[in-house]
Amino acid sequence: MMTTILLMACITFFTRYLFLHRALPFKVGPKMQQFLSFSAPAVLTAIWVPIVFVTDEGINLDWQNPYLSAAIAAIIVAYKTHNIYYTTLVGMGLFLILN
Amino acid sequence: MLPLCLAVIPWGILCGSLAIQNGFSAVETQAMSLLVFAGSAQLVAIELIAGNTPLLTILFTTFIISSRHFLYGLAVRHKVIDQPMRWRLPVSFVLTDELFAFSHHRKAYRTKTRLIYALSAGFSFYITWNLWTLIGIVAGSLLPDLTNLGLDFAIAATFIALVIPGIKNTATLATVITAGIMATLLKSQGFELWLVVAALTAMAVGYAISRMQAKTEKNL
Repeated sequence: MMTTILLMACITFFTRYLFLHRALPFKVGPKMQQFLSFSAPAVLTAIWVPIVFVTDEGINLDWQNPYLSAAIAAIIVAYKTHNIYYTTLVGMGLFLILN
Repeated sequence: MLPLCLAVIPWGILCGSLAIQNGFSAVETQAMSLLVFAGSAQLVAIELIAGNTPLLTILFTTFIISSRHFLYGLAVRHKVIDQPMRWRLPVSFVLTDELFAFSHHRKAYRTKTRLIYALSAGFSFYITWNLWTLIGIVAGSLLPDLTNLGLDFAIAATFIALVIPGIKNTATLATVITAGIMATLLKSQGFELWLVVAALTAMAVGYAISRMQAKTEKNL
């Protein structure tokens, strides 16, 4: 088990460090930089949307789905306030009540 | 960064209690958070290890989930690369989704103050993550049903808070919509590379739209 954990640690660190290694002989050009500027919204959204919609049985589009109503509330609060505290508090609060 | 430390609470508890309920020892669970420090990879790996999945499959899955960090490394490379190794190593150790979401300032990582700021943010996140894993370990061994509470919604709420305020133009909006639809469809089909493929497609859409807009503006 410890071996597995150590190997996993090596993999995650490798993926984080690789492109910060100086000996890699390349420069990220302006076009590539512009492409990469979309990585945060793309990756984070690709992680959170399936948490809301995907269950073991498939895609859940039911309005009774507490994940969905809480996510919509969180989106509205995030849009209106731009505040991480309020967004997570309202989202989690509503979710716990509904669930 | 402080609100993010709060937002990670349910996630850390989930990780700690899930591991305990899947037969991990307390030391193994804590070691995972201390060494791997990657929430989504840990959660998936716990279930795989508990299911006696072959080691290579576990490592490959970890690699796939972690491969988004390549994008983060590439994106901050020009900001960090001139710093000496003693700064670059700790920065890459704490280069999480959350820290990356905070890395967009033009001067991020470029001055000593900014570096110290990024590292304190990153390591406060590391400490919180491990503290709440520990609490999850304790809670998971006392309360049996903690993993069914839907604590994973905390991840969604946090990322909504990080993404939505950043949508300031059509290109980013299109990126977000594409990423959400692609990831949901691919993941529900059980496609292993859903995260990477959805993210890259969405980035390509955002990039294409921003290029088209730049061209139209030039022609006006």
